Amino acid sequence: MRIVVCIKEVLDPDAVNAYALAGRLEIGDDDKTLTQTTIPRLMNGFDEQAIEAALRMRDAGTDATICVVSVGSDLTVPLRHAMALGADEVVAIEPPSSTGDYHTVAALLAAYIRSHGGADLVLCGRQASDDDQGVVPALIGESLGMPVVAIARDVEAAGSAEAPAVRVTRVTPDGDEIVEATCPAVVTISNELGEPRYPTMPMKMAARRVKPTDVSATDLSLDPQALEPRVVMTRQFVPTVKGDCEFISGDEPADVADRLVRRLLEDNIVRGRSPR
Amino acid sequence: MTDPVVVCTWSAVRDQPWEETEAALTLGRTVSGACGAELHWLVVGPSLDEGPEIAGRHGVARVDRIDDPKLEDGRPDAFVEALAQYCASHPCRLLLFNQNFATRLVAPRVAGRLGVGVVMNGTDIEVDGDRLDVTAAAYGGDTRVVYGLEGPGPCVVALLANAVAPEPTEDAGTAPAATELEVDLSGVEERIRVLEAAHTEGPRLEDAEIIVSGGRGLGSPENFKLIEELADVLGGMAGASRPLVDEGWIDSSRQVGLTGKITRPALYLAAGISGATQHMVGCSAAKTIVAINTDPDAAIFRHARYGIVGDCTELLPELIRAASEAGDS
Ligand SMILES: Cc1cc2nc3c(=O)[nH]c(=O)nc-3n(C[C@H](O)[C@H](O)[C@H](O)COP(=O)(O)OP(=O)(O)OC[C@H]3O[C@@H](n4cnc5c(N)ncnc54)[C@H](O)[C@@H]3O)c2cc1C
Repeated sequence: MRIVVCIKEVLDPDAVNAYALAGRLEIGDDDKTLTQTTIPRLMNGFDEQAIEAALRMRDAGTDATICVVSVGSDLTVPLRHAMALGADEVVAIEPPSSTGDYHTVAALLAAYIRSHGGADLVLCGRQASDDDQGVVPALIGESLGMPVVAIARDVEAAGSAEAPAVRVTRVTPDGDEIVEATCPAVVTISNELGEPRYPTMPMKMAARRVKPTDVSATDLSLDPQALEPRVVMTRQFVPTVKGDCEFISGDEPADVADRLVRRLLEDNIVRGRSPR
Repeated sequence: MTDPVVVCTWSAVRDQPWEETEAALTLGRTVSGACGAELHWLVVGPSLDEGPEIAGRHGVARVDRIDDPKLEDGRPDAFVEALAQYCASHPCRLLLFNQNFATRLVAPRVAGRLGVGVVMNGTDIEVDGDRLDVTAAAYGGDTRVVYGLEGPGPCVVALLANAVAPEPTEDAGTAPAATELEVDLSGVEERIRVLEAAHTEGPRLEDAEIIVSGGRGLGSPENFKLIEELADVLGGMAGASRPLVDEGWIDSSRQVGLTGKITRPALYLAAGISGATQHMVGCSAAKTIVAINTDPDAAIFRHARYGIVGDCTELLPELIRAASEAGDS
């Protein structure tokens, strides 16, 4: 089974969050870009879990080659990390220009998969923690005519070597759902999959010498129209949060608790003990 | 006449409160007004009793309905095909969905099928000539991004829950009768087979009027019992921040936030939760937020109506006592 995992490098969302909460998140003169160089770049967490899902399938005995691919420039660090985790091949696709959107990214990823060995299974993170859009997996699925199984906590190989399939546990608002899809298929991975592994020291050392395979948009012989952005970011800003917190204090926790409950009763927010 | 703005709802989606449909119709009406277009409502699946009244209240010029047995159980392939056929015969300027578990997948798939632009997490839309400027939440809500979308073809947008307040028109009109439309789904065979359906056990966090949530500040899984007990005394439900779910202290159905549940209770009491934006996305629509945190500078206090600076493991038992006493009196 050939598994292609699509990953994205993002700004560390925790660092962005910390700056935003401190009111110090900076946006550059272009009105779009977060400029703080102290915010580290790292692999999108859900994508790391997508790699983990692929590795777990292989650990469970599935005969799988794992190819990790990303669109962007300067991707050696995240792709070496993918290699250290156990990928068999890592690929960097250089976008034709910096003005692309996620339609461009999806077109490039789909074209790569179509023209470079195909895929029985495409794994993606459920969304990227920078734009939170989560549309690339759906667009890849449409472009390649593959079904998309969204928001999975577990993926297992099913079916046979001749007719591979995947059995997927999805996290739905009504609890877990177990589905099966015939390969090729796209599956998106959610945080419920659990912690991804750390690379071992020898794997890390070995990955230090790896050079990702470079693929350019021209190698993919794509119709230029397919790469045209449909969605153009024009501005980014930090929304304001209005605060009107009234602090409740007292000498002992018991006093504070009594005061709070009294306030909630006065405001008609609680009615004491529930009827049940 | 400019192509209409179409709000699309899918009756098979269960986690779709009426306020959200009304929020989408409210935004749809603003956009259609700004570009001189009609507002249409496309109902996919069985029609809903409340539909006509809501359509009337929001100035909907036309209601279209597509129904087919294949659309009734919420499976995506039939939905995407139905929408593709609809858009082929009904050009529209904007195709607006409420964002929920189902549309998170099908809205971008419809856009992919049509080859048009899509924006998720939408919070607002402005019309600028031929362009729609769609504001969307990014970085879990830390920032907003404005995306420009131009035709040809409809722009597909999913509206984030709680982003727009529903506002009926002043002059409620009569609801237009729904036009039944035919789509041919005979060629659609769902490619995903359900082996075991999801089944909710008991009430859902999304529907709770009172939620008591615990975060990493609880210190240990045992202390989560205090959260459950207080929730019980108040007649509400227990929720949690993501680290507690990731650590396995509590089931993922209790996670509040960007990648968990989007709730809108009357009271949201957060104990030992820092107030990261990704968490607040799931509870900021609460009417009243109460926060307990040892750190007076915790971000949660910026969203809270009432705040207590203190140790939640000391305060929760006292709150359980005080709330039970209030209930007994
Ligand atoms: C893409 C993405 C999606 C995410 N989705 C979600 C999501 O859906 N839901 C979610 O919750 N998070 C989500 N997160 C994680 C989020 O960013 C935060 O990391 C998380 O919400 C923090 O949880 P917490 O507040 O419990 O823990 P912490 O941030 O560690 O905060 C603990 C708080 O407890 C306080 N405290 C400590 N001891 C005590 C005590 N004894 N009494 C009272 N207070 C005490 C501390 O002062 C601190 O403020 C997401 C992150 C990313 C990147």
